[in-house]
Amino acid sequence: MTNGVPYETAWQNYQTGSSDPVQFDDSSKESLLKQFHPDYQTNTTTTLQIGANQGDVCQRQLAQVLQSNSLIDEVDLAGASIVDTDVLIIGGGGAGCAAALVATENDARVILTTKLRLGDCNTVMAEGGLQASVGVDDTPQQHFEDTLRAGYFKADRKLVSQMVMDGPDVVRWLIQLGMQFDQESEDPFASLSLKRAGGTSAPRILSFRDYTGLEMMRVLREAVTYRPGIEVWRSKPVVELLSNEFGHCAGAAVYDMRHRKLMLVRAHAVILATGGIGRMHLNAFPTSNHFGATGDGLVLAYRLGAKLRELDSFQYHPTGVSYPRHLAGSLVSEAARSAGATLLNGLGERFVDELQPRDVVAASIIRECEEGRGIDWDGQVGVWLDTPRLEQQRPGILQRFGSLRHLAHKCGHDPAEKPFLVYPTLHYQNGGVVIQRNGSTSVPGLFCAGEVTGGIHGRNRLMGNALLEIMSFGWRAGVAAAGLRHNAPHRRLTIEHVHKWQRELTLAGLPLDNHGPQLYPDYANFNLRAHIAGEI
Amino acid sequence: MDHEPITIDVEGRSVTASPGRSIIEAVWEAGHVHVQGVGCLGGVCGSCRAIIRRADSTEVKMVLACETLIEAGMQVTFVPFLERLSDHPYQIDSFKDTWQLVSQVNQTFPEAAHCRHCGGCDSACPKGIKVERGVNLAVEGQLGAAGDIFETCIMCNLCSHICPEFIDPNHLGLLVRRVVPSLVVRPFNLMQRLNQLERGELYFDYEAPEASTEERD
Ligand SMILES: Cc1cc2nc3c(=O)[nH]c(=O)nc-3n(C[C@H](O)[C@H](O)[C@H](O)COP(=O)(O)OP(=O)(O)OC[C@H]3O[C@@H](n4cnc5c(N)ncnc54)[C@H](O)[C@@H]3O)c2cc1C
Ligand code: SF4
Ligand code: SF4
Repeated sequence: MTNGVPYETAWQNYQTGSSDPVQFDDSSKESLLKQFHPDYQTNTTTTLQIGANQGDVCQRQLAQVLQSNSLIDEVDLAGASIVDTDVLIIGGGGAGCAAALVATENDARVILTTKLRLGDCNTVMAEGGLQASVGVDDTPQQHFEDTLRAGYFKADRKLVSQMVMDGPDVVRWLIQLGMQFDQESEDPFASLSLKRAGGTSAPRILSFRDYTGLEMMRVLREAVTYRPGIEVWRSKPVVELLSNEFGHCAGAAVYDMRHRKLMLVRAHAVILATGGIGRMHLNAFPTSNHFGATGDGLVLAYRLGAKLRELDSFQYHPTGVSYPRHLAGSLVSEAARSAGATLLNGLGERFVDELQPRDVVAASIIRECEEGRGIDWDGQVGVWLDTPRLEQQRPGILQRFGSLRHLAHKCGHDPAEKPFLVYPTLHYQNGGVVIQRNGSTSVPGLFCAGEVTGGIHGRNRLMGNALLEIMSFGWRAGVAAAGLRHNAPHRRLTIEHVHKWQRELTLAGLPLDNHGPQLYPDYANFNLRAHIAGEI
Repeated sequence: MDHEPITIDVEGRSVTASPGRSIIEAVWEAGHVHVQGVGCLGGVCGSCRAIIRRADSTEVKMVLACETLIEAGMQVTFVPFLERLSDHPYQIDSFKDTWQLVSQVNQTFPEAAHCRHCGGCDSACPKGIKVERGVNLAVEGQLGAAGDIFETCIMCNLCSHICPEFIDPNHLGLLVRRVVPSLVVRPFNLMQRLNQLERGELYFDYEAPEASTEERD
């Protein structure tokens, strides 16, 4: 990347520049994406050599962990204690919690194990809101069509149609659990306030202020914690799934961080709800995601034989913080652009219609920076997100954005006085594990829900559909998994699939000393073997 | 800008890192393993609670380590996850009778009436929430106002840890926030849509032209 316009010059240009409406030529959207969007760069992808998606295109870093060797071996299993449950849920975000609550409602005993603590996840960070078609001038049909269009018609229709029809019921369920949503007035019967997301045909975003995910997660966390029948384990990442003699999923190997030992869980059904991949920092991008978003679920499911999809499609949110460095990647909500905030380059000029889909806006910012029109602030490069002029045009508007003001405060500026320096941030994994309507995968006994799955968003996700998805599919997977509780217990708990996998790795000439899943980002200096051995 | 490395003290270890780093980043940059007590890294999960004292200050402060920048001579101790001493389990659907709401809330959190007005909770809160006031309003029965006070609470539990009466202020706050939607909020547009769905009035066309015409490969 060329360094761009030095901060002082850019700041002068900003002050003299104008934000007059500019006409943009969008005839060249496709070539813009091809040239600047990270997904489209040939050097960022490769072809998978082994597994259910052999021959498919996959992002390079992701391919490396998908084709990795297990973190554990047969000797590790000997002596590990075994715990039995009906349903094992892996991941303590929104999808995992929804699944846990519904599975207990269906009389299953649940263990929910999570790498960090319950609620340390992407769900708690969501700001913008959740889509559900409740408006009078809106229908589930429109929601269906908008979702398909946004995803370039690559989504699985049967999943999308079920999800949009679940929408209103999801909202009722959340309200009954005690979640608040913004309403048109203080009256308890007042309609839910609706906002329009980019690329949709009707206002459909339900939110609570600009911290919808926090409100959702604290309610879910409390409900799960107090619900009899759910045992919550924290600081216990799953390091491998277990298989029975038929290759079905039979449970998981869990690492107890506090006691430095492995334990085995035998379950009639396993629900993977491990979320996304932001902390893999694909293509060296900063991320908006929580600390545990290292793609573990994809690696675990793939090794056991599950089919994945859209492994080369990721969402880069256009407006991640670029300066200061320690906040790089933190999200400035799309709400700012929806309200009218513009993007300006180092010359003080607008360069894109800010309400274009996220991939287009992100690619435009990358173009400005690569072509030297970005702003270089102490080595951090980006473009301005012009909150001061938004505040001038609509005085008081920034008051409505509590999270945005808090973030500006952390960056050390007043958003009414100074713009944010922003650059695209790795935000969401569009694809993931292939599922059926009830969350089942191609491996019997293994269910998936939430960001770890693919098929709902095609190649691009509409804002607000992720929070709906995690509830809708969390429920569905919870019901289906609970339905297996009367099956005979698995007789054998093995890692046979790992041995088979190791043979495939060897045949393909792939290294055996590349281990996964990653569990924590590299910069946190963790190593499982060294940790078990008490060396770190 | 000053680029000289900064040294701080983290649980008795001396940690040196570049300026402009958060406490967590500094620990990583110095090569230490640090994976527990890290969560969203965005200031909303309450995982990275730390107690700090700045070099020039006698004040001991509770902060979030993901959003606190290192300063020369700062002393830091992380607050580990503590199982709560007292616990106030309830099922939200056991709150049914709105006339009994206030007394049921008080029965669920009986210690709240014994608040000593010591302000410990307020000084512990990294989000600047008026916790004590929220507790007192809840006891008085002003449930809406009490709930609003906890609007930005990240459930870090620091107020619960510090409260000498084991009130669990943030959990009380969350309960009063939850009972209102659970029992009384029934938005018109949502109810109308649910009724339409129940009556099967919404026809769904899987193959509508808008859902397929633009199909590309
Ligand atoms: C900053 C931000 C803002 C967003 N805003 C919106 C929005 O406004 N609207 C919207 O619809 N979507 C939004 N999204 C996307 C949405 O929040 C997520 O896609 C969604 O919450 C994912 O939920 P989940 O339950 O699948 O995963 P998560 O909530 O991320 O939960 C995954 C859980 O699995 C755990 N885990 C991971 N690996 C392991 C392992 N090996 N063993 C055990 N546990 C493990 C994690 O620690 C975590 O607890 C946003 C995302 C971010 C990051
Ligand atoms: S849990 Fe208590 S201390 Fe923490 S943010 Fe909420 S009110 Fe403040
Ligand atoms: S810490 Fe407890 S006793 Fe003290 S003011 Fe807060 S709620 Fe009351």
